[in-house]
Amino acid sequence: MWFAVGDYVAGAIVGAGTALAIHAAVYPGMDMVVAMLIGMAIGMVLHLVLGFLLAPLLGMFQTMMPASLIGMYGGMAFGMRDSMGAGSTEWTSSALVGAAFGILVVLALSLYDRALKASIIEEPE
Amino acid sequence: MTDIATRDKWDAAAKSFDLLARGDERRFGETKRRFFAGIRGKTLFVAAGTGNDFKFFPPGHEIVAIDISPKMLERAKLKLGTYAGEIELREMDVTALDYPDDTFDTIATICTFCSVPKPVTGLRELHRVLKPGGRILMFEHVRSHIGPLGIMQDLMTPLTRRAGPDLNRDTVGNVRRAGFRIRRIENAYLDIVRMIDASKEPSAASP
Repeated sequence: MWFAVGDYVAGAIVGAGTALAIHAAVYPGMDMVVAMLIGMAIGMVLHLVLGFLLAPLLGMFQTMMPASLIGMYGGMAFGMRDSMGAGSTEWTSSALVGAAFGILVVLALSLYDRALKASIIEEPE
Repeated sequence: MTDIATRDKWDAAAKSFDLLARGDERRFGETKRRFFAGIRGKTLFVAAGTGNDFKFFPPGHEIVAIDISPKMLERAKLKLGTYAGEIELREMDVTALDYPDDTFDTIATICTFCSVPKPVTGLRELHRVLKPGGRILMFEHVRSHIGPLGIMQDLMTPLTRRAGPDLNRDTVGNVRRAGFRIRRIENAYLDIVRMIDASKEPSAASP
């Protein structure tokens, strides 16, 4: 139960942290491809830092796998958004969207995990 | 001959190992206990690490626990009391085992073949020392078949390899390549952390 709550909180922290860091680095009007690459790089570095901090509490795999998706793919999406100056232009809304993205990724992975746990591969004699 | 680079890497990791593994230990502890309940007879535990996993083995067995890192083994020595049975610690490289053919009834590995530089060579060596009909029980993390996760693991591996394990190993394939027969694979987390139950066929010669 606490691990599940912790996973969602960790996802929200990584998502919000990634969104804020990219909001600080990418300005409206920046070339979108460059912004996407910067976002991806920031997300990948940040997920490693936050992941390592949270892993002793929540487990390396359950922390790093969602964090890697949030950092890389979220980083690209936030970078694109901020370069267009579209959507969340305020710090607060940017953090909230980041947190929501993180929570969604954790939810998707936990559903996937549940489905995969049920599939046991047995090979016949 | 011992792989010095691998030994030094894990010697360096020994100090922070318990802290980083604490979350995994709590999350996967019961799953490991259930999986390793299948241990039978004389057992070889490969890559003992700091001995965190001794307590998940069923009591009363004769276990030889090896590791390439003397620093890890120093810490593992302090945890021998967590196991209700007999554990002998030995410094050894899995790719050059100091045991005759067909010595062990069971082999156990926990997050080992993400770190052995020549995994198939190591697994072939395990195949050699396992008795015909014996089992190898592996709790390992592997490359995911889920597209975005697998790509991330490929991207992160050059970085993680410097201080720790590879993230993108095809351990199930390597187990087959080493001559074992896979009996059962169960996922412990996504398709990344997996429990592989394999055996050496009674008639098998080491490949």
